[in-house]
Amino acid sequence: MSDGPLIVQSDKTLLLEVDHPLAAECRQAVAPFAELERAPEHVHTYRVTPLGLWNARAAGHDAEQVIDTLLRYSRYPVPHALLVDVAETMSRYGRLQLVNSPVHGLVLRSVDRAVLEEILRSRKVAPMLGNRLDAETVVVHPSERGHLKSALLKVGWPAEDLAGYVDGEAHAVALEQTGWSLRGYQQDAVTGFWAGGSGVVVLPCGAGKTIVGAAAMAQAQATTLILVTNTVSARQWKSELLKRTSLTEDEIGEYSGERKEIRPVTIATYQVMTTRKKGAFIHLDLFDARDWGLIIYDEVHLLPAPVFRFTADIQSRRRLGLTATLVREDGREGDVFSLIGPKRYDVPWKDIEAQGYIAPADCVEVRVTLTDAERLEYATAEAEDRYRVGATTMTKSRVVQRLVERHRGERTLVIGAYLDQLDRLGELLDAPVITGATKNSERERLYEEFRRGELTRLVVSKVANFSIDLPEASVAIQVSGTFGSRQEEAQRLGRILRPKAAGGSARFYTVVARDTLDQEYAAHRQRFLAEQGYAYTIVDADDVRTDG
Amino acid sequence: MAADRGVGFGSRGARAAGGPAHYREAVTRPRTLTDDLRDRSDEELAELLAQRPDLTAPVPGDLAALAARAASHASTVRALDGLDQRVLTVLEAVTLLPAPASVTALAELLGAPAATVSSAVDRLRRIALLWGSDDDLQLPAVIRDLARFPAGLGPPVADALLGVGAGRLAPLLAAWGLPAEPDPLRGLARVAAYLADPGALRDLLVELPADERQVLDALNSGVPVGLLNGAAGPIRLDPRDPPARRLLGRGLLVGRPDDTVVLPREVGLALRGGRPFPDLDLSPPEPGTEPVRARSVGSTAGGAATRFVALVGQLLEAWGDQPPPELRSGGLGVRELRRTAALLDLTEPEVALVLETAYAAGLLAPGSDPEAGWLPTPAYDRWRAGAPAQRWVVLAEAWLTMPRLPGLVGSRDDRDRPFPALSRDLDRPAAPTLRAAVLRLLGEVPTGRRATPTGVAALLSWRAPRGAGPERDLAVGSMLTEAEELGLTGLGALAEPGRLLAAGDPAAAAVALRPLLPAPLDHVLLQADLTAVAPGPLEPELAAALGAVASVESTGGATVYRFTETSVRRGLDAGYSAADISDLLRTRSRTPVPQPLSYLVEDVARRHGRIRVGTASAYLRCDDEALLAEVLASRRTTALRLRRLAPTVLAAVAATPQVLAVLRAAGFAPVQESLEGEVVLTRPARRRAADRAAPPRRGLPPAPRPELLRAAVRALRAGDRASAAVRRPVPAGALPRTGSSATLTTLRAAARDGRPVWIGYVNAQGSASSRVIQPTSVEGGYVVGYDSRHEQTRTFALHRITGVAEIDADPDEAGQAGEPEVTSALDG
Repeated sequence: MSDGPLIVQSDKTLLLEVDHPLAAECRQAVAPFAELERAPEHVHTYRVTPLGLWNARAAGHDAEQVIDTLLRYSRYPVPHALLVDVAETMSRYGRLQLVNSPVHGLVLRSVDRAVLEEILRSRKVAPMLGNRLDAETVVVHPSERGHLKSALLKVGWPAEDLAGYVDGEAHAVALEQTGWSLRGYQQDAVTGFWAGGSGVVVLPCGAGKTIVGAAAMAQAQATTLILVTNTVSARQWKSELLKRTSLTEDEIGEYSGERKEIRPVTIATYQVMTTRKKGAFIHLDLFDARDWGLIIYDEVHLLPAPVFRFTADIQSRRRLGLTATLVREDGREGDVFSLIGPKRYDVPWKDIEAQGYIAPADCVEVRVTLTDAERLEYATAEAEDRYRVGATTMTKSRVVQRLVERHRGERTLVIGAYLDQLDRLGELLDAPVITGATKNSERERLYEEFRRGELTRLVVSKVANFSIDLPEASVAIQVSGTFGSRQEEAQRLGRILRPKAAGGSARFYTVVARDTLDQEYAAHRQRFLAEQGYAYTIVDADDVRTDG
Repeated sequence: MAADRGVGFGSRGARAAGGPAHYREAVTRPRTLTDDLRDRSDEELAELLAQRPDLTAPVPGDLAALAARAASHASTVRALDGLDQRVLTVLEAVTLLPAPASVTALAELLGAPAATVSSAVDRLRRIALLWGSDDDLQLPAVIRDLARFPAGLGPPVADALLGVGAGRLAPLLAAWGLPAEPDPLRGLARVAAYLADPGALRDLLVELPADERQVLDALNSGVPVGLLNGAAGPIRLDPRDPPARRLLGRGLLVGRPDDTVVLPREVGLALRGGRPFPDLDLSPPEPGTEPVRARSVGSTAGGAATRFVALVGQLLEAWGDQPPPELRSGGLGVRELRRTAALLDLTEPEVALVLETAYAAGLLAPGSDPEAGWLPTPAYDRWRAGAPAQRWVVLAEAWLTMPRLPGLVGSRDDRDRPFPALSRDLDRPAAPTLRAAVLRLLGEVPTGRRATPTGVAALLSWRAPRGAGPERDLAVGSMLTEAEELGLTGLGALAEPGRLLAAGDPAAAAVALRPLLPAPLDHVLLQADLTAVAPGPLEPELAAALGAVASVESTGGATVYRFTETSVRRGLDAGYSAADISDLLRTRSRTPVPQPLSYLVEDVARRHGRIRVGTASAYLRCDDEALLAEVLASRRTTALRLRRLAPTVLAAVAATPQVLAVLRAAGFAPVQESLEGEVVLTRPARRRAADRAAPPRRGLPPAPRPELLRAAVRALRAGDRASAAVRRPVPAGALPRTGSSATLTTLRAAARDGRPVWIGYVNAQGSASSRVIQPTSVEGGYVVGYDSRHEQTRTFALHRITGVAEIDADPDEAGQAGEPEVTSALDG
């Protein structure tokens, strides 16, 4: 019996013992085909999924390599059925290929006739295909390229897309690396993406995803459409691009609710893209407004369904997805794979932390014991109100006050979901409150003051979940959230992970009402980060002292 | 090869409608099978019985009975099932030759070396499908019946035309230019003689039009019978007719009254150039093997064995909690099967194998009450306590001997209904034999190589052509998969434990398996995400303890446990205290206990038990606390076992009617409240079906042990002598009578020499009988002996034996010696 670091489970998860001498080597070998699912301190869990295996095939690995890796590093005998299954699954990729024929344009070609016959009989796939040219080839309507790939993935015969990309309208973009330089992993991410053509790069919050985007633009040397979550985020992208690249103010347009500029580099918000008038999406023309050479999707885990649909139509353009957590609470990872592209780069949070690019963080769950009156109120609340009642108690606000007091002088964010709670906290802490109702200019002014240190406390709603760049924030206190959302928790932690000028670690508090739904949701929310190796400490509110 | 399946012996139980007419004139056989058997040595007889174990169940009375049974249809079919292609082909060839056949003639007919033929003949002789010397080979008549179309050849023309009137023969004679013949029998002889001349036939065939030749070739390469409407109509030769009808006119086909045509044997042979098996190959096919890493075979099998044992445990634990219902027709519904498959993370056929194996091992049974569903049996609890290797042996043995095919689950039967698991529909009595054959074949593959599934199927088809076909190939395929899942094989090659088990040595198999199983661990790794990882199998008590306080998230080489509020609460419910759990975590973890985990345990423990639930049969409620105090204090109410729950509430263990009665008797005036709100909590700890024997394992009669065979042969000889002993007529009711000392001496001598004796016996009811026994021991006032008439070993009380008579080969001698007279007329 060998003594490898890897244990293969019957549910196709792989357990990697981190302290094993071969662990690093094994991680390298496993990463191309298995999805890192959990990375707590001792044993990391990878999952072998069809998507992962096809990803590996797309990246040029074959079944032989995968099986060899499993056999080489496995501590116990690997079930034969699993190996067979791996080989079988991987052999399904690439039996169908999308290629450009000089005569017929886009065609679907099969190296295995039986597969082609099967999919021609599939009711979901057949309508996207045109005339049959010969035994192996069938015409594809160019507009169906994305839908076809999606549908083929669902029937289990993922197509290899060899049809290539249009170059788009050329536009010179260069990185200006003065006073900073592209980090190793950022370079790796760009290389991985470019080699694959299209795909998703997964990096922790604060690890510089914007710079990966900028570097990709510099590689593409073409007009670029950037889709982001909201206007504030759009402006941050703009200022970052101005700072890091040769692009000038005039070359970058903002396409949002407020402005509709179309420039060589255009930053649009998801919100404006999904605006409807009389049931029709009125801004989707933007995709055709220029001959874009690159499309960047920021926070791809939030990509709204209409944008997915439209993305299916622009499969001949290079697409780059950026995210910190490819956890979609709606389970549409398959659509991301087939429409944006496979995952091209991924790195555990703790690895980046070890390299010093993101700050270490102490995560603390503060359990608050409610007063008897509050418990009664909670116990008698309607089921749909229970979480709100539990999460917004006055006792919690007092604990928050003590925590803020304890970190007096440090820049502190208080993050919550319920407006009345936020307003109350704003009063209690004497801090400005930013919510969806706050004007963009007002938001930017407050963020700016916070960045400069004129303001040390901010109370924010979930508008600040994403893409808000507040480098010096070092304390975040979460008081309520969108129920048990794992990615929201990760994004909120991400707000304080920028390395601090003074060094030192960030503090992330979650204030939770004991014995309520609040506590249950908190446990679920913490799973993603716990699985990334962030160890939460649980303390009783009574133990929180203001001196600390 | 010409001897296609579906003809010859290939088609099972295909009996000829009529007898083989062309051997009517066969010479009287010089000897019978009985005579032949009588001449065989004891060892030879024992071998015959060993090869055909069905002949010993029960042991026939004498050799004549043995011969009759050996030549019976049922037993012959069984014997044929065990023959390989080579031996079957030789046997088919024997039926083609006129009796008596000879080895030389066979070798010539087959065009095979005499040595090859001779060894096949020897084998057939050993199992009594042939007898007689090499140049005087005799065949039981039933074999001719079974070989309907030997080598795919039709009957000789004389048989085919038998009964045809002179009117229909005339056109044939005319067609061949033979003189007309009014007498049908003589006409028939003339036709036969003409076709018997190979030269004449060859000429006929050469001139045949292509379409007619095609018809002949088709009939000659499968079953030599075809359908043709009006086949028995008038014979004529008209070029406008379809080819088959023209062939009738030429006499190359014979029409029969049932609208079929048959190709006469002479024509078939001529088409094959005179040889019944034109391109005969009597050697077995090459088993397709490929190299395999020998070192990995054992470890893979060990891994599979571990996994399978764990799966059975997981399944039965789950079903013990939530038994799935049994279908009214028996078995398990498809939905339940799917649910279980999802639960164990297996495919449906894999789950079916786990279920069926547990069932065959007697670990799973339907509950006694039809509503109870499928439940683990008490045997499961005993099984669970065994060592892993032992547990595996139980399962693997059950699989080997189960007369069922779990591999059918997931496919559909002839009526397009899915086969339900655990139902009677999966019964296939031949399954154990087939499994044994598959494993035997795998066992022959040299170390370092493995047989391919197609190679196994092909070789099996050669070794046992009867019953071969796509259905059996499928069964063999699923057996190979199942053997892999059970860990009998690893990477397709038979592993050592599997080899030993197949050889019938379960104890050695368990010993061989032990080093292949991973050593149990005594520790886990605790992590801050509230999981515990056991990086290998755990010691049973640690696994049990962890299972009680955490839920299993994933299994395989390792086990991942997750601690949740619910799981910790379950542990507390099961009697663990917070301190116990903390101790367990601290002592059994290689890594420090993460703070959130200890917090979780303490937090759950803090809330645990704040609400108390108990059982009461009745309650007493009264606003007057003093009155309740009085009730509680009263001596007359002690039988009710009252307990004060609150100042105004008492609980009683006794039932409501009794409480009312006692209170009234004690002078109180209670009234009964409606039952609403009364809660009685009971929950059976573990549900189990009644213990019952494992389902029958039919199909594979146990191989008779040598002692048994020796005894059987002795019995046969004794029976034979008994039946051969000509007895003088004696007055009815006379029993052997000898003095007690003479009785004892004779019996002892018979036991020592292994001779049978006649005894007179009076049973407990006073009825007298005589019988032939073969004493094996005489002691303590009892004789133990084999009673050949009842075919079993019996114990006889010495004092009830009226007398003993030795059985003599020569009856006259016995008479002269004045031995007691013997009768068998009394015995029922």
